[in-house]
Amino acid sequence: MITVEKLHKRIKKRKILSDVSFTVAQGECIGLLGPNGAGKTTLIKCMTGVLHYEQGNITFHSKPIAQHKQDIGYLSQHTDFKPWMSCGESLRFFGKLSGLDAVFLQEAIPAVLEEVGLKDKEGYKVEQLSGGMKQRLGIAQAILHEPQLLILDEPVSALDPIGRNEVKKLIARLKKRTTIIISTHILDDASAFCDRYIVIKDGAISGTIDSQLQHADRTQVLVKTAKTPPASGIWPGDGVAYIERLSPTAFLLTGTEQLDLKKVVHDLDAQELDVTSIEFYEKGIEEIFLEMVSDT
Amino acid sequence: MTNFYTLTQTELAEAAKEYKFIWLTLFFVILGVTQPLINNYMDVILENVGGADGITIEPNRPVPSSGEVLLSTISGQFNQIGLIILIISFMGLIASDRNSGMQDFILTRPVAIPSYLLSKLAGHWLISMFAIAIGAAVSYGYTIFLFGSFSFSDFLLFLLMYSLWILYVISLAILISTFIKGPILIAVTTIAVSIFLILIKSFNHLVFQLSPGGVLNVAENQLLPGGEVNHFSILSCGVFIVFNIWLAKINLNKQ
Repeated sequence: MITVEKLHKRIKKRKILSDVSFTVAQGECIGLLGPNGAGKTTLIKCMTGVLHYEQGNITFHSKPIAQHKQDIGYLSQHTDFKPWMSCGESLRFFGKLSGLDAVFLQEAIPAVLEEVGLKDKEGYKVEQLSGGMKQRLGIAQAILHEPQLLILDEPVSALDPIGRNEVKKLIARLKKRTTIIISTHILDDASAFCDRYIVIKDGAISGTIDSQLQHADRTQVLVKTAKTPPASGIWPGDGVAYIERLSPTAFLLTGTEQLDLKKVVHDLDAQELDVTSIEFYEKGIEEIFLEMVSDT
Repeated sequence: MTNFYTLTQTELAEAAKEYKFIWLTLFFVILGVTQPLINNYMDVILENVGGADGITIEPNRPVPSSGEVLLSTISGQFNQIGLIILIISFMGLIASDRNSGMQDFILTRPVAIPSYLLSKLAGHWLISMFAIAIGAAVSYGYTIFLFGSFSFSDFLLFLLMYSLWILYVISLAILISTFIKGPILIAVTTIAVSIFLILIKSFNHLVFQLSPGGVLNVAENQLLPGGEVNHFSILSCGVFIVFNIWLAKINLNKQ
């Protein structure tokens, strides 16, 4: 659906994005992860056509992204409407800019406000809304013109837990009908709805994380034994790639795939090591992310 | 074009919500009234405010003409203190949109950058000229009441030429806003460049006469005929306005 190819972007001679390439398929929900200053917002601004880029291509259904602004809904990192406008007026303003006619907007605005949980707030001034409500209004303006692609830049970062929960539920509902790209550094939030994650660090793609997290070294088992464990190396049992001896009575098994704990116990029993304890350990997305962006 | 109307309407609505139409107009009315009153009642003012010992007012001094009073209102009040306040009033015309994220919201829509920039130009020109025209009209009324008649059509022609200068100053603020982020610095730079252009416009050389401030010579000539005027400066001012918006568009596109 959207393809980013070898994208390079400099701002005041400073390299912000370097050789960024990825594709997003229709219906996917992609998490764009990265520490602050990694280049996520710049990448998103290039994708929405706000920022110019020196090299590379961004295409939407094989055509330049600039020709598809109508098909993109965007929520910026700092949602700030004209405070003197009411919610209805704000949506009418953005709707008109998207080329929607007054008759359509008459029906669409109450419907979209209901969808984002602001049904009775059409006449409320924006300045009267809470942070969570403003963010939901931001999403309302992004989906008003029924875009094929929704790009949300840090949609929950600045919200309190209640606001975050409200917005997360809304995004989970939108995911069922729209392709979504979400930029965030709050990984727990992203894991609630993302199918796949693209990790960006220092303006370049560090890698991707599959939502199923079938990551080579995701699962680990810490085993303590009465007898001396085998030396570090390949573990003979199925489903485990290697063994690392930590001490004369402890070793770590690192999995190549989702480990079947029952099978591991059976394998350990077969080795007759007098196992005293087993701790099954599964790396979370946050740890995988930290490993990917870590300098060491 | 629809987007241009929508954006311009929003600019005007925002100015109305901020009472800009009222306070800016009041400000220009006060400026417009001040000069004819000072010119007419200088001796009374000096007598009453005190501190005038040693100052002799020549009783047979020549009474200024209406055109001269109007000219000193425009050059001395509108084009100095008035222009500074005007520039301060629209120093955030692009900067506030950029800082609030509104610019991103707008430009991710199918909105052409020229439409966005032209809506800023048109919106702020209409707001400025609303205040200036009323202030100038009040000044005109006081001037002809105190100093005798003055051709209304010449006054309107003056306003028309002066509005072109204001359009240029706004286009300059727009251009500078695409280079500089801070509203205060935008205002200071715009004021400095505008004053520089006002200073060089009187130099008797084609380059200066065709500079953007040259149109002020044409405007002032409507009030007090006789000076050397190059009517091509109307055209050159228009060219400079187009150039500013074009450069602002390129600059915004690059960011």
